[in-house]
Amino acid sequence: MVRLLKKTPLNKVHHELRARMTYFAGWELPVWYASVLEEHRAVRSGAGIFDVSDMGRIWITGRNAGAFLDKVLTKRVGRLEIGSSQLCLLCLEDGGILDDLLAYRVETDCFLIVCNAGNIEPKLGWLDRWAGSDPDVVIRDKTADTVMVAVQGPTVRHLQSLKDISNLPRFGVAQTRIEDVEVIAARTGYTGEDGFEIISDATNALHLWQSFMKQGVKPCGLGARDSLRLEAGMLLYGQDMDRNTNPFEAGLEWLVEMNDRDFVGKSALLEIKRQGVKRKHIGLRVTGQGIARPGYKIVKGGREVGKVTSGGYSPTLDISIGFGYVPIELATVNTDIEIMIRSKPVAAQVVNRQFYKRGA
Amino acid sequence: MTPKEYKYTKEHEWICPESENKGKVGLADYAQSQLGDIVFLDLPAAGTQVEQGKKMGEVESVKAVSDIFAPVSGQVLEVNQAVIDEPGLVNKDPYGAGWLVRLELSKPSELAALMDSEEYDKFEAELAEGESE
Repeated sequence: MVRLLKKTPLNKVHHELRARMTYFAGWELPVWYASVLEEHRAVRSGAGIFDVSDMGRIWITGRNAGAFLDKVLTKRVGRLEIGSSQLCLLCLEDGGILDDLLAYRVETDCFLIVCNAGNIEPKLGWLDRWAGSDPDVVIRDKTADTVMVAVQGPTVRHLQSLKDISNLPRFGVAQTRIEDVEVIAARTGYTGEDGFEIISDATNALHLWQSFMKQGVKPCGLGARDSLRLEAGMLLYGQDMDRNTNPFEAGLEWLVEMNDRDFVGKSALLEIKRQGVKRKHIGLRVTGQGIARPGYKIVKGGREVGKVTSGGYSPTLDISIGFGYVPIELATVNTDIEIMIRSKPVAAQVVNRQFYKRGA
Repeated sequence: MTPKEYKYTKEHEWICPESENKGKVGLADYAQSQLGDIVFLDLPAAGTQVEQGKKMGEVESVKAVSDIFAPVSGQVLEVNQAVIDEPGLVNKDPYGAGWLVRLELSKPSELAALMDSEEYDKFEAELAEGESE
């Protein structure tokens, strides 16, 4: 079978750096350059740069852009101030999660949505469907024409290139220049550290990447991206949530605002909330020996009660951590569970999902 | 470089034969570079009987888990406590400090079925070639 692979504007750089490449949501991306552990630690203690050009970048413009987004997203973004952003969900009519995303208000009638790489076409179709024939809502997918890098870590605010935007507030976004090229820069990230996500024209990709590398920022791959977000308690779409999970069982009710307007999925979500959920997404810590990985069974009293949805080794804590779904009666911190690690039950415990919290 | 005096399996284990039919066993450099940072090792305890070509343990890296096969049959004499405590030793020094267990060979003639370093280098080069295509 022919595998259709999308390549980011930085693909050649990754190969030149001799990265171990992998396939992720249809993209060829670096999983690590030299070592996941070193890359992970660079972001926790210094600065790392990730090619996150696989993320979907969709511009929603026009006089009704804000009202349109208020109708399809679970948080009201139409009243965001210019230069700010909001995490929210895209829900189906039955309350299932179609994606989690960041909505940035760049200008009055110009919003940028950064969503997950997977299933970009169905998501665009979904947005188009709800926009209908309104001439005042224009949806443009510019993923292929742009580059996106995440520069993350406690020392990034001191980098020469980012000095001008070092006072940008958390979740703030600005149209500015970095290293003499036009960018959209936001104080956001997926690592649990301070940092910026930077979007620019694809032709600027190499220039931006190399300028950060010259400043000592370490290139980091998908391996570290996964271990960092897991430690920080951040969910991954497609593993920790999907169309068959709702925001309440995923523990994402904080991304749903139901009191101020009507939106797609609201009536279903009200009903789900009224009935209460039967299972819950939890953090888990393996106390026995072994590493919990996605797909492993969670058992209690010899009976399968759920599955691990994310999991791995935590470099910062030197323990095996993960997420998974368990019945609501087991979803209490300190509950003893077991993980089937290659047909052996291994002791684990339900814990808070935020394994790592950065210092103030 | 792959040590000359070692013998190798197609699953990228090595055995370094010592006198009196004993030998240390470890993972080849190719295995550690494919796995990436190794964070956990499950090795057979001293006294365990292992059989050539059969699973004797597991190695977990940040990204993958893989079985470790016994390069020859025999009894485990000793487990390298240093790699249990610091699995990254396998990445740092796969042919030296990163050894896994020491065996007493029950069928020394099995060594003949393994590759010598020259054969193994060739085998590994072919794999690497296939990978870059």
